Amino acid sequence: MPSDKAADRPITDPEGSTIALSSANAGRAGARTEIAFEGAPVPARIGESLASALAGAGHLVTRNTARGSERGVFCGMGVCRDCLVDIGERRNIRACMTRVEPGMVVIRAGGESPPRQPTNGSTFRQLDSVQVDHPDVFVIGAGPAGLSAALSARLAGARVLLADERAKPGGQYFKQSSAGAPIDAQQEEGRRLIDRAIEAGVEIWSDTLVWGGFEPLDFAVNRAGGILVVRPRTAVYAGGAYEKPWPVPGWTLPGVMTTGAAQTMWRSDRRVAGKRILIAGNGPLNLQLASELIAGGAEVVAVVESAPPPRSFMNAARMALNAPGLVVQGLRYLASCRRAGVPVYYASHVGEIAQTASGLKVQVAGAQERSLVADIVCLGYGFLPSNELLRAMGARCSYDSGAGHAVVERNGECETSIAGLFAIGDCTGLNGARVALAEGTLAGEAAARHAGFSTSGTHSVRKASASLRRHRRFQKALWSVYWPSVKTAPTSDDTIICRCEEVSRGAVLSALEEGYRAAGSIKQRTRLGMGHCQGRYCGTILSALLEHRGHQVDDQSGFAPRFPVKPIPIGCLALDPAE
Amino acid sequence: MAKHLPRKAEVVVVGGGVVGLSIAGFLAEGGREVVLLDAGGPAGSTANAGSLHVQMQSRFLRMYPEQVPALESGLHLYPKAVDFWHDLERKLNADFGMKMTGGLMVAETEDQLDFLRRKAARERALGLDSEILERSDLDRVAPYIGPAVIGAELCANEGKLNPLQANAAIRGWAQSCGVAIHDGVHVAALSPQGSGFIVETGGGKVHADQVVIAAAYGSRTLLEPFGYELAIEAEPLHVNITERAAPFIGHLVQHAERPITLKQFASGHVVIGGGWPANLGSERGFPTVELASIIGNATLAQHIVPTVSNLHIIRTWAGVNTPTDGKGILGPVEGVPGLFAAIPGDAGYTLGPLCASLVAECVLGKKPAEDIGPYSPARFRTPAAARPKADAHLSAL
Repeated sequence: MPSDKAADRPITDPEGSTIALSSANAGRAGARTEIAFEGAPVPARIGESLASALAGAGHLVTRNTARGSERGVFCGMGVCRDCLVDIGERRNIRACMTRVEPGMVVIRAGGESPPRQPTNGSTFRQLDSVQVDHPDVFVIGAGPAGLSAALSARLAGARVLLADERAKPGGQYFKQSSAGAPIDAQQEEGRRLIDRAIEAGVEIWSDTLVWGGFEPLDFAVNRAGGILVVRPRTAVYAGGAYEKPWPVPGWTLPGVMTTGAAQTMWRSDRRVAGKRILIAGNGPLNLQLASELIAGGAEVVAVVESAPPPRSFMNAARMALNAPGLVVQGLRYLASCRRAGVPVYYASHVGEIAQTASGLKVQVAGAQERSLVADIVCLGYGFLPSNELLRAMGARCSYDSGAGHAVVERNGECETSIAGLFAIGDCTGLNGARVALAEGTLAGEAAARHAGFSTSGTHSVRKASASLRRHRRFQKALWSVYWPSVKTAPTSDDTIICRCEEVSRGAVLSALEEGYRAAGSIKQRTRLGMGHCQGRYCGTILSALLEHRGHQVDDQSGFAPRFPVKPIPIGCLALDPAE
Repeated sequence: MAKHLPRKAEVVVVGGGVVGLSIAGFLAEGGREVVLLDAGGPAGSTANAGSLHVQMQSRFLRMYPEQVPALESGLHLYPKAVDFWHDLERKLNADFGMKMTGGLMVAETEDQLDFLRRKAARERALGLDSEILERSDLDRVAPYIGPAVIGAELCANEGKLNPLQANAAIRGWAQSCGVAIHDGVHVAALSPQGSGFIVETGGGKVHADQVVIAAAYGSRTLLEPFGYELAIEAEPLHVNITERAAPFIGHLVQHAERPITLKQFASGHVVIGGGWPANLGSERGFPTVELASIIGNATLAQHIVPTVSNLHIIRTWAGVNTPTDGKGILGPVEGVPGLFAAIPGDAGYTLGPLCASLVAECVLGKKPAEDIGPYSPARFRTPAAARPKADAHLSAL
């Protein structure tokens, strides 16, 4: 099983720092251990995410901001960097992307101490001394799209490297257990796909961050404590998506996290943070989480859905026609909420969250206005495509005003405007796992063909084409059913819209008053988007604000995309990967 | 920001960087009605790393040894320019995030240290406060400097500021003085008309009595029709920004032989740049970076200051420098009454406000506080070119 192989490797984090692991410390994934957090012992399991272990032990605050505010796990997938901790001498490490190792000494990040002297590598080096790997096809992202693309390209005969930032392949949809057997059919399907890819000979690089792409098709990759360049013939980008922000007062409080974050803690690590959980947002993922947590014994306070109750027979029929299995699944989630007596408030949304002595007080607005109290508030208001690398490489985009994000242009083979660079799955739009799987099969084959391998419209390709058409129709019907009653969060002027730099909506409005118009100049004036998450959340909030005020918004008007697409420690740039 | 482009203005300033904004402010204070036009997008001042350079940069000495006499002839302006920044911060009652902690240029070999000894001696003769530090001095003054460094030149006149804070404050001041700022207006051409000029822009024509060109590398094409060939070129340069850290790097740090500037802002971010190449990226609308520069520049930084290896780079970008023939291009454009140039040259951000005030004094008909004769644009006048006929030029557009 691949999880065992993963546990035997030296542990590294995806930014490339190696965590010192003595043989005495080596242990099997899932074994009980103890770590220290802020000087106190915390029970944990080897291999689970540090974020899960801390949240499971009730430690919801992981860092302090420059202004002294407390933050905790928010995205749970390595994007927001609100779960930063210091581990030993390493500063600002993402708890959600770091696996527990025995004896870890962890403190909250954001302390005032200057960085410590490094223990290794402080040498000067130039690009020409950096190792270069030359696969035929380089696939970035090991979710449904990337896994199926890698498999498809490999079956066509190509040497395929598949890189992923997480500890295990699977991505957000197939996210695997940190220890033990798959918990349900969704994980099992993922495990089978991962096994097939490995058996076919796909080389999977986990804990690997692809942070830059340069002409003609050179990728900068941090892995195993160092850097290398991957120079493939063709590349397939499958970066997935991350949750859309819902910037209401209180959305930065510890205990407020995305639906995906709570789901990862549960699905991968069998951890539930807190006891009373409120789940709010738009779309079927929220009901799925509710049903999973109910089964796990958590008290789900309510599900707050911004779409009205499903009514359209036509859309339901269209969904059932194109993906009957998914419809049945959805009805099951709903039934489990009913059985557990968990109310589902339709046409309603989270208007405000406040910390009180009894927990997080949530003001629900809309059709079912009320006030609720919970320990954990999950926000799942849709997704944004992770297309930063593509945009930073210069792939041509258009702007989807309704969705509020740039969309990468592709031809019928999923190739972008950059020759040899393909893009598939949720990073190109948000069509879910079935579309991602089908696009992967098609694009993987095309990428192998462009890399010089002869392919001949195989059976799987024809099947994928049909599946793609069917599931695109399903998605269209699904999102007609889930059409939200409110599209933008009720943001007040003092609501923080840039989580990293703690910039309020009011500060942005002041900059607009002063005459700043372009996203770039507003960024310079207010520091909006200059923090760790690199504008992933506030960028879309700013675009919506500018559009609302009648300013021209297009694919060029957001923040200019910059490398590295995720922060990288300088020390890794001087070293080769440790393997 | 002013909404509609006016058809007439007493003075049009082309370029809204630190130079253009300062000139516009000084002219408005002097009673002129000023319209400032800026093409927008990333440019010199809006993509600047905030070094206040005074000592001669080893990068320029190496790259353009023939320009050393010109560089030395203007060196006395640099400490004055830093003082001018201080005065401006006080005058505007603003916070530029200035720190005058001095600048270190480090040496790894005896050869490099000898070079610094000679350089420091010349700079002292020209009025700079430069001295040589041995390793033992460094351990005391700058313990964060790594073991590879055997000594350094310390120039006490140097420092740093936060250009984001400074630019915003200067812009706000210029606006409060009455300058009408128009962003996103690209000036395509200038042509003489009567005793003034027609400024051709993407948004229409503006008639101006006087025009100040403060458009850095963009100034070259604007001055060509008047018979000037400025020896300036856009030089896109790489910058890395790290996450915040508690203060640990005091000085502006450079190297005797390798291109680097390294400093920590008051905000805690470490800014690493200093001459690694980037691309103009004109087809993208903003300059783009190169992998070789990210790796080379950042690892050179940790070679000099090992503790930065524990910091994450959160962003890279490229700024565009405008090197000249070694000194500024300042003052009236000879043969074209009413036209002025304001291009401070190397370390243009440091020299910006001072040079702006000198040019503003010319525009207002006053005697500048410094003799700017040596910086006259006249040295770039082509002998053959004559002043273009207004009609001929306009019909060509």
